[in-house]
Amino acid sequence: MSNTLPTGFEQLEPFAADWALATQNERSTKRRAASPNELKAFYNAVFPEVQRILEACDKFPVGSLPPSHQPLFNLSLSVAEVSPHVENYGGSPDVPFAFEETRFLSAHGDHATWRSEPPSRG
Amino acid sequence: MTEIGKARWATKFPELGTKPIAIEPLVSQDMFERERDEIFKKTWLKVGRVEEVAKVGDYKVKRIDVANTSIILMHGKDGRIRAFHNVCSHRANKVVDEVGEETFGNSRAAVMTCRFHGWVYDAEGDIVHIPQEEMFLSCIDKKEDGLASVHCDVWNGFIFINLAEIPKQGLKEYLKGYANHFEAFPFDDHPYCYTYVTELNCNWKIGVDAFAEAYHVQTIHAGTFPGVRSIEFNDVELFGDHRTGGIYVDSGAPPSPAAALAHKLARASLGEFADTSLLPATINPQRRENFVFELSVMFPNFLLHVTDGLWFTHQFWPISKDKTLWEGKYYVSKPSSYSMLWGLEHSQILQRNAWLEDTATMEATHAAAESGAKSKMFLQDEEVLLRHGYHVLAKYTGIPTEIE
Repeated sequence: MSNTLPTGFEQLEPFAADWALATQNERSTKRRAASPNELKAFYNAVFPEVQRILEACDKFPVGSLPPSHQPLFNLSLSVAEVSPHVENYGGSPDVPFAFEETRFLSAHGDHATWRSEPPSRG
Repeated sequence: MTEIGKARWATKFPELGTKPIAIEPLVSQDMFERERDEIFKKTWLKVGRVEEVAKVGDYKVKRIDVANTSIILMHGKDGRIRAFHNVCSHRANKVVDEVGEETFGNSRAAVMTCRFHGWVYDAEGDIVHIPQEEMFLSCIDKKEDGLASVHCDVWNGFIFINLAEIPKQGLKEYLKGYANHFEAFPFDDHPYCYTYVTELNCNWKIGVDAFAEAYHVQTIHAGTFPGVRSIEFNDVELFGDHRTGGIYVDSGAPPSPAAALAHKLARASLGEFADTSLLPATINPQRRENFVFELSVMFPNFLLHVTDGLWFTHQFWPISKDKTLWEGKYYVSKPSSYSMLWGLEHSQILQRNAWLEDTATMEATHAAAESGAKSKMFLQDEEVLLRHGYHVLAKYTGIPTEIE
């Protein structure tokens, strides 16, 4: 799938290749591998656009996001992933004073979040 | 130091005492074996939700390591959910292949077939087919010799089992006032579940205890929930072996920008106050505005927390005295828009991070307890749920948990 963003969001294109990731596992792995400066640069550029991104995605029913808008929504989800690290943890890519994150296994971690199908089971 | 007269919960529950609690029960093999035999093999244990086996023929297999078994929960054609040991009547193979701690599946005919030699069982555990049956010279009773059944009952959508041959009491009687307290909470309205699991190198009680008080919030969660100025634990009630109380927060700082946006888009975060008007009358009974959530422990190993619009659970399954399976589940409403889904994602990530902060202490606590350097721990008045937990533990095991 191409990570090209829809018209009107071209200025976010430089972040799409790295941060338009479909699953929570991919996004948290990327966040842990990023530097504090990378996290801040990404947050500062994309957080101000999140509401506009969501308005564009809200034109479609949940679970039916077309391929044209999936990278855009995935980009906004990376902001959700990264924001506590910029806003609360001083740019630290890990949660400070925390359990080893890679030992936390999630039932929904490898689902494409835009499909909105977290497990009702397990 | 607080005098006893000022200690609200010590005054309300004098039977719990005020003495220090022994460390030994956290690390003792003897205590672990007593817990296994007297608690986990005899009391009601929550093993699932009805949504997990919603349709006829749906089944779930759950390993219960502490009791050395796996339990099949099967939704029968009569609508009932029944529980069986996952052990074939033929030569004791596992009937359902397991893929981990929990295995899910569906059989349209609501039958279970052992892959070893093809014995087939129905949802009542009776044998319905034995290949080459005529070759068995001993008499097999298809009912009597069916799957070994386990007592199973449902309360408010939660599925419970009891491994005792004859449980001392039924589920309703076991839950006592606890069931009434949470009866009116609309669990079904918030079915969208985020699940985390991990294996912790600690005793199961260290996990339960870490989540059973709010005293730790300002230290442990200073990173993820920095706005908490002070915290109060109110409305404490004890229901037989179970316990509950409400968490109220004095908030000092506004939410961060992304959290504020998430709050606007979805009701899914403990970082904002509950809309108390939406809660059952038993929860936050005085309708105070700074209520955050109700924190309860259902004995022995299940924590159920509710507030308006969301609820979450922790469960700690002993594997050995120093190994525990943790399951954390965060339940919110199903998203109706991509904006809401983003709000859920943000709130759930903050909660995940808070849980990473919580679980960080558990292995360290266990390792330190194992050192033998300390024989007792001190509990403050608002750690009353822990005190009640040790009180109940002593009752079941016959091993004292207080330091005289």
